[in-house]
Amino acid sequence: MTLGWADFAPLAIDLALVAAILIVLIGDLAGGPRAGRGIGYLCGILLLGLFAGSFFLDLSGPSMGGTYVGDAWSTFFKRLFLAAGALAIFGSADHVARHTPTRQSEYHLLILFSVLGMSLLPGARDLLLLVVAFELMGLPLFVLAAWAKTDDPRGVGRHAPEAALKLYLVGAASTAITLFGLSLIVGLSGTTNIDAWIRTAPSPLWFAGGFLVLAGMGFKIGAVPFHFWVPDTYQGSSTPFVAFLSVAPKLAGFAALIAIIHRGLGAGLLHRPTLVTLAVASILLGNLLAVAQTDVKRLLAFSGIGHIGFMLLAFLPGTTESIQMLLFYGGAYVVTNIGAFLIVEQVEDAAGGSSIDDFAGLVYRSPSLATAMLLFLLSLAGIPFVVGFWAKLYVFLAAWEAGLQWIVVLGAIVSVVGLFYYLQIARAMFMRKPAAEAPPLGSSLGMTFAISLCLAAVVVLGAFPAPLLGEAEAAAKAFVAKPTGAR
Amino acid sequence: MTHWLSLIVAAPAVAALLLIAVPASARLLVRWVSLAGALVSLFGSIEVARQYDTVAGGLQLVESYPVVPSLGIHLTLAVDGWGVSLLLLTGIIIVAGVMATWTLKDREKEFYIFLLVLVAGVFGVFVSQDLFIFFLFYEIAVLPMYLLIGIWGSSQAVTEAGPFRYVWKVLDIGGKQYAAMKLTLMLLVGSAFILAAMFGLYVAAGSSSFDLAHLGSVKYDRTLQLWAFPFLWLGFGSLAGVFPFHTWSPDGHASAPTAVSMLHAGVLMKLGAFGIMRVGMVLLPEGALTWAPLVGGVAVVNIVYGALSAMSQKDLKYIIAYSSVSHMGIVLLGAATLTPNGWNGAVYQMFAHGIMTGLFFALVGLVYERAHTRLIGKMGGFARVMPGVAVFFTLAGLSSLGLPGTAGFVAELLVFLGAYQSAHSWWAIPAILGAFITAVYVLRAVRAIFWGKGPSREFSELSDARGTEWAALWILGLSLIAFGVWPDLILVFIDRTTPDYLLLVLAGGAP
Repeated sequence: MTLGWADFAPLAIDLALVAAILIVLIGDLAGGPRAGRGIGYLCGILLLGLFAGSFFLDLSGPSMGGTYVGDAWSTFFKRLFLAAGALAIFGSADHVARHTPTRQSEYHLLILFSVLGMSLLPGARDLLLLVVAFELMGLPLFVLAAWAKTDDPRGVGRHAPEAALKLYLVGAASTAITLFGLSLIVGLSGTTNIDAWIRTAPSPLWFAGGFLVLAGMGFKIGAVPFHFWVPDTYQGSSTPFVAFLSVAPKLAGFAALIAIIHRGLGAGLLHRPTLVTLAVASILLGNLLAVAQTDVKRLLAFSGIGHIGFMLLAFLPGTTESIQMLLFYGGAYVVTNIGAFLIVEQVEDAAGGSSIDDFAGLVYRSPSLATAMLLFLLSLAGIPFVVGFWAKLYVFLAAWEAGLQWIVVLGAIVSVVGLFYYLQIARAMFMRKPAAEAPPLGSSLGMTFAISLCLAAVVVLGAFPAPLLGEAEAAAKAFVAKPTGAR
Repeated sequence: MTHWLSLIVAAPAVAALLLIAVPASARLLVRWVSLAGALVSLFGSIEVARQYDTVAGGLQLVESYPVVPSLGIHLTLAVDGWGVSLLLLTGIIIVAGVMATWTLKDREKEFYIFLLVLVAGVFGVFVSQDLFIFFLFYEIAVLPMYLLIGIWGSSQAVTEAGPFRYVWKVLDIGGKQYAAMKLTLMLLVGSAFILAAMFGLYVAAGSSSFDLAHLGSVKYDRTLQLWAFPFLWLGFGSLAGVFPFHTWSPDGHASAPTAVSMLHAGVLMKLGAFGIMRVGMVLLPEGALTWAPLVGGVAVVNIVYGALSAMSQKDLKYIIAYSSVSHMGIVLLGAATLTPNGWNGAVYQMFAHGIMTGLFFALVGLVYERAHTRLIGKMGGFARVMPGVAVFFTLAGLSSLGLPGTAGFVAELLVFLGAYQSAHSWWAIPAILGAFITAVYVLRAVRAIFWGKGPSREFSELSDARGTEWAALWILGLSLIAFGVWPDLILVFIDRTTPDYLLLVLAGGAP
């Protein structure tokens, strides 16, 4: 196999990302701590630049002998991950600069590495590349989860080692399970080429392989019953990192799942009972347990499990339409959840905690933050005229057309439970007085920028969902259509 | 293509946007901008009524813009005779509502923003001809309510008595935040059912369009009709106050600030009834015919139970709130009769009750703002200090019990006639009994508050209505009499549309 220039074109963004990582590394060596939070802003701007660039470059075509294929599908995910990375970095620059002033570039580099892994993943057509990309995404996250640790045993970040260890152990175990499942599949089919699997006749072992992949990935995306690490990790890690962790790796997990289960094995139907159980359990448990939470980070963690359940609902049928809805949900979830967590970060930073009480009277301390949070919460709850509504609606529509009417009714009712706990935060923000000593809240430049971007996306896509829907449609059509030689 | 309908819907929304730019300290400007938005909508509604051709009938003033073409969602606005009358109702109520809350003191800017957003949603429901857009507007009309009640509402002292007093205390029953949460959650559970039925219709009609005309042209199979109709009935019915899903209404209306109670009891509950008739019955004729006995039976329970509950209340706002439950029963009964008189009466009752209950809540707000109590046991002889309020309250009360010459009479007469002509003539008996109980509790309340001994010393300094409050009272009071003496002002529109829809139901439901 020889590599020509044509092999690099589809990977332009990823190569540029590598270049960006080198720039930041060298810049750190040269400038070091003197660069201050500038290094964070630089990373954010680089990612935004790549995001913008993805609209002007032609990224389609196979590369490296078909190991990697660039198309609308991989580009859609690239944009999601680049946007998530940029928003998270702009949101964390200030936090990192204040808490770990001497190690700033490491934090941002780790995020960049993780984004690089994610960016390679959706285009992978070979299992080896897929697994490597997945691990490149996952390993930096373990380090970042422990980032908040300080030497003060009573201080902020005292739960960070626990958070990181849980993420690490679960991550390692789930990788092992996934790999075991994949080894069965590769053993039976004799190839690591995902598109070639479809020619293998199904057998019980074949089914077991898919089942193990589902279980392993279930840990990664945090679906019930593999969810128990989620609330602890979210609570213990630094909040701007959680903003990233709660969306981007989950979507990468879905990208891998769709590639393996639907495109590779063509086995969505076979695993339907399992998937229905996962989805219903996630929707129910996530939303019901969220009601009991008094800490906003834990609340958003449990509600996030519920959202994963809704996404599984769209994942389940595996048709082009349903995957399109899943992608739309993913896009909506990125901007909404990152925005919400960044606001939690500001409140937490000022109050030293993230309980619902710390949100009391936020509207008096910062009307703009309180209004933004309200809109994010409404979007999470799926209320019209913010993007979350369309996301939930499309997912329900997909599930309805797949013959899962009862889950749609159940999900719609559970959404009302969701609204209940989201409104508890709104109630604290708008209907209670702030603590006597609470000062007005101001935002740093990067934070204001990140939150404004999220808010703009939530509101604009809420009014005009068609552009994102169109992108999602193109992406789904490019990938989900059966590969050649399908049975 | 004319743009009157989009003007009506957009005017409050634009006013709300303008308000964001107005500094909160410019308190008079805030009010004038809100009033301007409301007035534009009212005059737009009057203009629509003037332009509506009652000879041609059907849908008029059609506008259409694509929203999500791939799913067949279009922003289609058009108005039928029912829509004309309900637009007028909403216009009148919002103008009166803004005027009646002119003296609000706390965070007025935000209050008016939410109020105007809400009313834009209400206008939108009455004119949208796309089921999906209908649902969107419906949600906008429901959701701002949470903040409006939770922030600006008033709480009632929790009753520290009875076997459940501990539960009452823990849940903060009677508190405004409890009421706001209860209302929002109950109505959204209703929305969940509406959404499910909507999907059912959309998929059964070929997944190509949410257009009401398109959905109406499909003959759905019996199974779908039989499950989707009760979903729509209960979904919309939870907003219309269908027993036993009415329990949010007394708490919510009692806790809400004046303009919000006026709008909610006056117009929002009608959205529910309108949804049942326009979407549920017209699209699903077979379901409607099959379930009509249940719908009517429950409506009768609404009438009698609501009236009896109102009779046993001590809190003035709860009396009016329960009377709304009872009067909405009359609307639903009219709908369930599936007769021309019944349907005309149902829509006319929506209009008449809207005006009447708007007037009631405006007056209750006035009294509460001055006396700082809602317990009628403490009041008495108020007519001596606030004669104007007493006169208007008596007028609203007389319309409520259906006195000839008031709008309430026309509506109730038509519904009772329809009930008698329907397949279930006996429905008329408890319905008329309900009107009788209404007379008991309304007259009792009027006597206890305004006549008799008093006012006691603490209330001797109370003042009558003033300024814009007079304007609100006159608008609503005059409407009650005008539409009572000359029902054709509105009935001409309603009666033009009723036969069209009724024919669809009766023909579609025939085996």
